[in-house]
Amino acid sequence: MPSVVGWSAAQAHLVASTAEGPATGMISDVSPAAAPSFEALLAPVIDAAYGMALRLTRNRADAEDLVQEAALSAYRGFGGFVPGTHFKAWFFRILINCYYATYRRRRQQPPTVDFDDTPDLYLYKQTHQAGIPQPTLDPAASLINRLDTERVNNAIEQLPEEYRVVSTLYFMEDLTYQQIAEALGCPVGTVRSRLHRGRKMLQKALWALAEECGIVGELAGRGRS
Amino acid sequence: MTPLDRVTCEDAFRKIDDYLDRELSDEELARIGAHLEICAACASEFEFERSVLDGVRAKLRRVAAPPHLLSKISRLIAAERSGGAS
Repeated sequence: MPSVVGWSAAQAHLVASTAEGPATGMISDVSPAAAPSFEALLAPVIDAAYGMALRLTRNRADAEDLVQEAALSAYRGFGGFVPGTHFKAWFFRILINCYYATYRRRRQQPPTVDFDDTPDLYLYKQTHQAGIPQPTLDPAASLINRLDTERVNNAIEQLPEEYRVVSTLYFMEDLTYQQIAEALGCPVGTVRSRLHRGRKMLQKALWALAEECGIVGELAGRGRS
Repeated sequence: MTPLDRVTCEDAFRKIDDYLDRELSDEELARIGAHLEICAACASEFEFERSVLDGVRAKLRRVAAPPHLLSKISRLIAAERSGGAS
């Protein structure tokens, strides 16, 4: 059974410092005696874990339940966590496994966009073909900036699950391919290929949303005027 | 475009994701970077892809966990520690 202690000043400092830097979740140079408690490691990643759970379950109550279930499961298995390795990737793996075990069966929704055979550079080619001006503005930024946050989130949610999960880890968490592989329990090559395909699908979904909202017509009109 | 340039464009394109995500070695990053310096077409494609990634990333951050979630988990763990969890 792992030891869980209260929130000391030293841990609060550790939590604050790990929450700030790019390597959140990574505790290095910690001797076993000074190893942080489970809760001290969990606190800096709780928002990210809840965000991930929300994307998986698409429901706030389920997301909360999923994080609690994962936290309890992770606590029980905390003896298997190696101090100095990436806690967030380790915890996310447990979170995702809990999701697969409990929630996945409830949420099988067909994608609303046909993602088969999405070509490389999909948005790049579409913006060119639509006549959105290239040299005078950043067409990708122009297009995405006009989509509200809700729609961009919806674009990710439309992806088939295996691509949605890897894309969420990639876009939301700034994890390396290796860390995503650890979180998913799959080879780095699988992460690479899913990410590549997921990006193409996401571009197709974004383009469909931009067309639906009239953004494509607006930008292309600027190119003609 | 010379055959050598063509091969280099294809090679660069195959590595576009890894390049943008800095998943290449320093040597490969430099090699692709050098190609982008002299190839406007590839540079345009790479810049576009980078802009898409940055744009999506900026739109997706962040969701805060409910304020009570961590304390709820702490209570669950405390119950588990004392043998009271079901």
